Amino acid sequence: MTTPRIELRHLTRRLPSGDRVLTILDDVDLAITPGEFVAVLGPSGSGKSTLLALMAGLDRPTSGEVLIDGAPIHELSEDQLALLRRHKIGFVFQSFQLLGNLTARENVLLPIELLGQPEPVRRADELLAAVGLEDRGHHYPSQLSGGEQQRVALARAFAARPPILLADEPTGNLDGGTGRKVLELLTDLRRREGTTLVLVTHDVAVGSMADRLIHLQDGRIEREERPGDSRAAANPAANPEGAALVAGRP
Amino acid sequence: MTAGFFFRALVRESRGARGRLIFFVACLSVGVAAVVAVSGLSASLDEGIRGEARQLLAADLAIDGNRPLPPGLDLAKIGLAGAVRTEVRETVTIVAAPPAAPAPGQPEQPGPSQLAELKVIDGEYPFYGDLKLNPQRPLRELLRPDTAVAASDLLAHLHLRTGDTLRIGGQPFRIAGVVLSEPDRISISMTLGPRIFLSGEGFARTGLETRGSRISHRTLIKLPAGAAASLRDIQARLRQALPEMTYRIQTFRDAQPALRENISRIERFLGLVALLSLFVGGIGVAQSVRAWLAGRLDAIAVLKCLGMRPREIFPLYLGQTALLGLAGSVVGIIAGAAVQLILPSLFPDLIPAELIRPWQPGALLRGLGLGVGVALLFSLPPLSTVLRVPPARVLRREAEPLPSHRWTTALTVAVLALGVWTMASLQAHSWDLGARFTAGVALAAALLAGAAVLVSRGVRRIQRGVSSSVRSLWLRHGLASLARPGAGAMSAIVALGLGVLVVVAMSLVERRLTAELSAELPTNAPTAFLIDIQPAQWPGVEALLHKAGALHIDSVPVVMGRLAAIDGKSVEEMARAEEAEMEKAQKGEGEGAHERSAGGRHGGFGGPRQHGPGGPGGRRRWALSREQRLTYMRELPKDNVVVAGSLWSDPDHAEVSVEQEFAENLGIGLGSTLRFDIQGVPVDLKVTSLRTVDWKTFGINFFLVVEPGVLDAAPQQRLAAVLLPKGGEQRVQDLLAASYPNVTVLRIREILEKIVKVMDRIGLGIRFLGGFTVLAGIAILAGAVSAGSARRGREVALLKTLGMTRRGVAGAFAVEYALIGLVAAAIGAGGGYALAWGVITRGFELTWEIQPWPLVIALLAGVTLTVVAGLAASLRALERRPIEVLRAE
Repeated sequence: MTTPRIELRHLTRRLPSGDRVLTILDDVDLAITPGEFVAVLGPSGSGKSTLLALMAGLDRPTSGEVLIDGAPIHELSEDQLALLRRHKIGFVFQSFQLLGNLTARENVLLPIELLGQPEPVRRADELLAAVGLEDRGHHYPSQLSGGEQQRVALARAFAARPPILLADEPTGNLDGGTGRKVLELLTDLRRREGTTLVLVTHDVAVGSMADRLIHLQDGRIEREERPGDSRAAANPAANPEGAALVAGRP
Repeated sequence: MTAGFFFRALVRESRGARGRLIFFVACLSVGVAAVVAVSGLSASLDEGIRGEARQLLAADLAIDGNRPLPPGLDLAKIGLAGAVRTEVRETVTIVAAPPAAPAPGQPEQPGPSQLAELKVIDGEYPFYGDLKLNPQRPLRELLRPDTAVAASDLLAHLHLRTGDTLRIGGQPFRIAGVVLSEPDRISISMTLGPRIFLSGEGFARTGLETRGSRISHRTLIKLPAGAAASLRDIQARLRQALPEMTYRIQTFRDAQPALRENISRIERFLGLVALLSLFVGGIGVAQSVRAWLAGRLDAIAVLKCLGMRPREIFPLYLGQTALLGLAGSVVGIIAGAAVQLILPSLFPDLIPAELIRPWQPGALLRGLGLGVGVALLFSLPPLSTVLRVPPARVLRREAEPLPSHRWTTALTVAVLALGVWTMASLQAHSWDLGARFTAGVALAAALLAGAAVLVSRGVRRIQRGVSSSVRSLWLRHGLASLARPGAGAMSAIVALGLGVLVVVAMSLVERRLTAELSAELPTNAPTAFLIDIQPAQWPGVEALLHKAGALHIDSVPVVMGRLAAIDGKSVEEMARAEEAEMEKAQKGEGEGAHERSAGGRHGGFGGPRQHGPGGPGGRRRWALSREQRLTYMRELPKDNVVVAGSLWSDPDHAEVSVEQEFAENLGIGLGSTLRFDIQGVPVDLKVTSLRTVDWKTFGINFFLVVEPGVLDAAPQQRLAAVLLPKGGEQRVQDLLAASYPNVTVLRIREILEKIVKVMDRIGLGIRFLGGFTVLAGIAILAGAVSAGSARRGREVALLKTLGMTRRGVAGAFAVEYALIGLVAAAIGAGGGYALAWGVITRGFELTWEIQPWPLVIALLAGVTLTVVAGLAASLRALERRPIEVLRAE
């Protein structure tokens, strides 16, 4: 049995809100294998974005563990977490999050340069070409449309060849046509690069492209399903493979 | 992260938000311009004042002694390479007109004679100031081995004119010119007769030097332009190189007591201005960086998300700040230089145009370093935010920077304090003053922060109470904005409060110094002294003075005497013992025996206080051996204050009142008995009071004042101090020469005018630089308020979306700004009064006078400035359509 790329063990996240404590995530167990495409679905406030933040080390759990390639990350320092993201994790956000003072090409170059990889410009241009923006590299984000900005964000996310890509509602700010196009690009690139993809969305249609769907409700995994697979599990134990992964056993 | 990537990232970070960067660079440059302009103007003003004051010494430095400088003294070796020196010798002798041609068969009659002061110049003279001669030619050209240049009153007394012969030391000298005024003849106490200039060769011809005359030696030193070492350092080095008891080292600062204190004051004031403008600039920088970073939080979160470590991002923004500081400094330097260039045409009396040198590379680099240093240092606290931006902000935009870690805060504060201390010390040239300044600033900032917290809590409580009862939405929203957590009111109040503190303190100090200076201006000081008046001549001389239009006349009797014994001990023996002691001490320093002191040259009335050669031993010996001048009077002049004992209080003894410091030099106190030898008659006087004398007034003052009735019958002369209308001195001299040829007139108008000019310049400088700093402070504060307000676009958009009109939003903002301004101005003004009190009473040793107006102005201006600057900066946000802002979110 291969080591899961991402593993969450009894993950809980609580946040103080005034006099109360809100439970955002409640005892979540999940294992994601290398190369897998997992879509996390759920209504607003179900804890999707927090789940993503915890996987990336952007946030720290109240209890439980996050393991990347078998190594726990919750005890890493801010610097170590940054290095982890630099080497292993790419991001795509709903609001694109391109750096406004950099051109499209420079945005794509940034992760490659941070890693100090050779021929960064060639790689950046290849990726821009792959997302159909080879002529727009010198433009600033403010000069691009929403769809174009998200395509640049896709190119940037794949630039450093991260084994993991985390995408937070990547089509949420785009119209239907543009959203579909961006999603196609995302899945194409993922396939080409062999990347593990965790995609947060509330759009079931988007989720249907994934290998596995995780439904979150009130901070708990309500159910898992595999599109095209009639078997659906109300909990991981119903899926022997999933149960094995969750338990971390071969 | 490679260096190449760092620099690429640095350059990339500089672009994009060009408009915003221009705004911040403008904020920074105002601060830097203030620092650079004040620093440059201070230097020019200081140089101007020094230049004027130097003329009163005719040199940068003068070394006085009763012997020439040691032959082995190499000025270059003590760091005075390139300095030029002139040796001056002075002595007193009788000079005479040649004998009149005898009548046939009659013996030759000697010509009239007069006591005169010889001044022998070997070298260039004067280095500074004007020696007015007739004919107007350099002294060096007029002086030959057989010529002399003499004062006009000497020629009048002896009925001589230019081209005639004068006998000095029995040798004939042709009078080659007339001395009209000398720049460094500043003390009538040194005057025993009219002036005669001789060359070194001419003096050798007189043979006076070999006859054991009392000769005083003075070495005038002119430092090379831009001498690296400060005058104080050079003075200290010379003190080390020369035996203290034999030589006295004077700088222009010591030349005039009236100026000494004021030059010292302006130097302290300029130091204060430099420190405070640096500090105000720092506040502007901190606020600008804070506002700039507030707009970069999202980008920082993205960078962290992409794998940049906090310790890689921090240098990026620090470098960015350094670049901004550099840009701001360059703009500031240009603006500062422009101010300096324009200034002489606006204020011709303040700084002579020739002293303005705005393009000195050293000064520019210093300004650059200072600007970047201030930018980096003061941006440290806001920059530490970079470390604390949560990367999760990419997902939850409302995620604010985390609270600062205790150690990070401590480190930031330590670095900031150390940096402020270093920069303040460099500005003030004193580590001690720098430390005090830093401690004061830290205390003020802590007090302001505490007050801001209290005010915020208080407002929160009030706001809860009034929210239902107050109808005004503006007021409710304004109060709510001030009270909400993380409103930024704290930083605004601290920054504004510190700014107001500086501006108010500066204004108070400036007003107090200006008032003091105008009170001290010697505008009613005498313009001439008349010496050697016989008592019988006085009524006639007085009438003559009135006729010449004298505006004020003071006259006292002068009795010459020798101090014979103190409390029964012979003064001669005491002086000998003192001299033996000094010889011993000097031998210890490897010096040989020295000549007897020319202590008689140091008098006790009229001009500035003069001490004998430096060192306590030297002063005591001088005080003992000098020819004493005594006067008698019933009431003391206004500038005398009895500090011990009481005047004329002992009916059983003849009493004398002694100047306090002179008494210390003599080693006497209340109850001591002084025996004077007055023309062979012993007179015992008991010390019954000690006095302080304000020597700055130029009035007639004496070390020794005797009670009336004791010396009335003693042989005496009168001394008069006269305030004459402009040009009256020549008329009086002509009239006196005709009727009372024995009376010598010493003109001091030119010296007084020079002193008044220097003091005027000091006053104008204080007013101008004080005002400039206040204005720059206000401009910087306006910038700081604007910087804080420019990022309120989202709030404006939301309020407008919720249905508030632009007027309503502006009103609510105005209430909030007004409250911030009011609180900051009130606390800042309080701190400003405290700081000014400390500076005025401790720093300048002046009395504290309450000035209410600056407080009122500070409150009004604080509120107005904050509201106007805040609203002006919010204008763009008010004009934008809400959807534009909300879409960009």
